Amino acid sequence: MQRLIGIETEYGIIREDVDESDPVVESMELVRCHRRPFRADWDYSEEDPKQDARGFRAETLQQEQEELDFEKHDRERPFSFHEMKSDLMLGNGARFYNDHTHPEYSTPECLTLKSLIAHDRAGERILHDCAKRRNQILGIEGALQLYKNNTDFHGHSYGCHDNYLLPRTLPFADLVTHLIPFLVTRQIFAGAGKVGVETGHHYTQKGFQLSQRADFFEVEVSIDTMHARPILNSRDEPHADATQYRRLHLILGDSNMSEYTTALKVGTTSLVLQLIEQGLAPKEARLEAPVSTLRAVSRDLSLKQSVTLSDGRSISVIDHQRLYLEAAQKAFSKGDAETQWILSHWQSTLDALEKDPMQLADRIDWVTKLWLLKTFMEAESCAWDDARLPGLDLEYHNIDPERGLFLSLEAEGEIQRFVTDDAITQAMDMPPMDTRAGVRGLIVQKFLKNIHKIQWEKVIFKGNQAQGVYRFDDLFDDKAIKAEIHRLNQCTQVASLLAH
Amino acid sequence: MKMQFERREKPMDPVERPRKEDGPKKPDTDRSRDRLLKKMRKVDPKQSEKYRQRTGE
Repeated sequence: MQRLIGIETEYGIIREDVDESDPVVESMELVRCHRRPFRADWDYSEEDPKQDARGFRAETLQQEQEELDFEKHDRERPFSFHEMKSDLMLGNGARFYNDHTHPEYSTPECLTLKSLIAHDRAGERILHDCAKRRNQILGIEGALQLYKNNTDFHGHSYGCHDNYLLPRTLPFADLVTHLIPFLVTRQIFAGAGKVGVETGHHYTQKGFQLSQRADFFEVEVSIDTMHARPILNSRDEPHADATQYRRLHLILGDSNMSEYTTALKVGTTSLVLQLIEQGLAPKEARLEAPVSTLRAVSRDLSLKQSVTLSDGRSISVIDHQRLYLEAAQKAFSKGDAETQWILSHWQSTLDALEKDPMQLADRIDWVTKLWLLKTFMEAESCAWDDARLPGLDLEYHNIDPERGLFLSLEAEGEIQRFVTDDAITQAMDMPPMDTRAGVRGLIVQKFLKNIHKIQWEKVIFKGNQAQGVYRFDDLFDDKAIKAEIHRLNQCTQVASLLAH
Repeated sequence: MKMQFERREKPMDPVERPRKEDGPKKPDTDRSRDRLLKKMRKVDPKQSEKYRQRTGE
């Protein structure tokens, strides 16, 4: 598999030692516990969240009033906008900052699944290290807790976004037609599972569903991300040469704890994008009512409910995924090793979901969580209305290995791994050297003190030694990346880096 | 009915696997269950009630 992919994760954050805490301050202080010093150096000048991939600029976003209210409140704090954001570009090519009152970790751009999963896990461990330092400063062990999940069980959701680089020549309308149906049923293996149902800000503890996020999606396509969330987000912010590329910014997915689930979620999506690019996506897979189907699928643990296609036929949710799998098997049977892994595990996962989902308790998040909850319910002779279950759901996602239920299972050796701990440790410090993130990460490692502003696709230097902008908007060619990393390794001065 | 992990035969992974994952391995389910149950019983029953976040993206 060779596609540039990155994952952004907004973490839940809470202080357990006080009744109320300010999430802006807590997120800001957490980021500043990273050993890279904060210096207000993120460049926001070229970001435009209103630019729409459908070819226009939105006049307004639905979250604007809420944002204005936040800003009003923010002005009462003794911090500037940049101080509150506390943006850090790390030496491993990742971005770590306070986004909308949540600490967010965005992996560097990765070219392979192994690299991506290692960097996603590296983010968890970096945040846990920062939480440990924060708790040392507070002098209270375990005061600050972090959760890699998507809901607070009171109707507030926060995201895990998977991003894919696509050619600009691929019409956005093709994604609307062919990707939305795939995303609607992807949750049968990509969901992280949730106790109960959220409607608006109302929580009902009613059974278990496949997805953390499905309750929060209201439309098929839109530029919004915080209100009336869309299955397909149309924000057009490529962080690359906009004449050549687009960045698909998927906001539908759950935050996954399982490496295997993340690999399958991202890997299958990448293959479906390849099908769409080549005009090979299954045309019959279009759904009659994607938004209501999204919720219905999430709430059907039996996986037996049919989905209605746009031609009026009904098929099982598993067979709907098989339409995409079979098209990918035909098209990519001679693909590389990762492609073979995706195809093989996509098929075995669908087969297991059809036969007995509990076979997947060691790898698919929603099944693992359901197994844990059922084990607890059986031991405690309690039912789905037991008040302790939402708390157990939450603790599944705790990233403290001493407390997190998923991480405990993983430590016991009960969970299928996709990468080694050594690879994760390396990813905490080193960027992927086969993408432009390698160049950016090395620049941060070598020339941090000379950096004035930074973005995904550029570094602005300012100072006595040298001034100028180093851009890598279109640095995607393998040979060019290798050559640039080689040149960067030889550079001892910013001036020599800029002189080309 | 007792819930159990069941590992199924699966195709060989083309990706490198951690050393401890070499070959099929029967998990020590009862030992894991007991430790997990102990941990789950320790979770504050009001944990999710106290957990409030702001809307993100």
